[in-house]
Amino acid sequence: MTDSEEELGLLETLDHLLDRGVVIAGEAVVSIGDVDLLYLGLNIVLANVDAIIRTSQPKQIK
Amino acid sequence: MKHVVIGAHLEKGDIEPLAEAIAAADLWLSGVPIDDAQPLGDRELLLRVAQTRASLLDRATFIAIRYGFTAHGQSDAAAKCAAHIERWGRTLREYRGMVEMTLKVAAASPRARPDRHDFESGAAYIRALHEATRAAEVAPEFRSAVDATLAPLAVKHRWATRDTASLEFAALVRRESVAALNDAGAVLKRDFASVPFLLSGPWPLEVFADDHE
Repeated sequence: MTDSEEELGLLETLDHLLDRGVVIAGEAVVSIGDVDLLYLGLNIVLANVDAIIRTSQPKQIK
Repeated sequence: MKHVVIGAHLEKGDIEPLAEAIAAADLWLSGVPIDDAQPLGDRELLLRVAQTRASLLDRATFIAIRYGFTAHGQSDAAAKCAAHIERWGRTLREYRGMVEMTLKVAAASPRARPDRHDFESGAAYIRALHEATRAAEVAPEFRSAVDATLAPLAVKHRWATRDTASLEFAALVRRESVAALNDAGAVLKRDFASVPFLLSGPWPLEVFADDHE
């Protein structure tokens, strides 16, 4: 497995952990400092799409 | 001491010894014990919970609970989940032996994310965000190919837009169909080399967890 595929797998795993599944009503949004995890989750989703695009493109030979 | 709750399970044996089993009516919740002072955003904790989640799915199908739900002991956990237990039980019994697979594909022409500063009210901004998300679309021929090759392998499937840049095909599949689905994904990868997509899984019940609402 390449580094970018590993990165993509980790992002996907974290995306599912943070942004999927049943939400229990009444639970507070978890925060890290001033950044709540909902926002972090969205960032991971966006980064994930970037990673999909990046790993789908042919590698540039320098 | 409290527990980060990972999911809802049908049997106690589906959980132990991978995680701690917490009784909730006739179901069981899986939990990872942590100190009260432990920050939930800790990287090591996130990875530990993610790893435990994957190990639990290897054991048996369960309903995923979004990260961040914590409980102080059995009575607290049971009280917080009381409204869901009956429905979860029906879902777990019907979908026993099934898992979710996800195909995430970058939108063909992603819409620019609305800028908060362009809107006078929060409501207008939320509406614009929603509309931008709904507008995301994939190439019709790719979507047709997914519907023709992956959907027939699933017990249930659905397309959903999650953000302005991607769409997602979620499939509820029997565990024995996971390999066939991955094979079909490899064929899609070959036939649509220019379409950026990711087929991932198996995952616990996430998209199909609320089917019995």
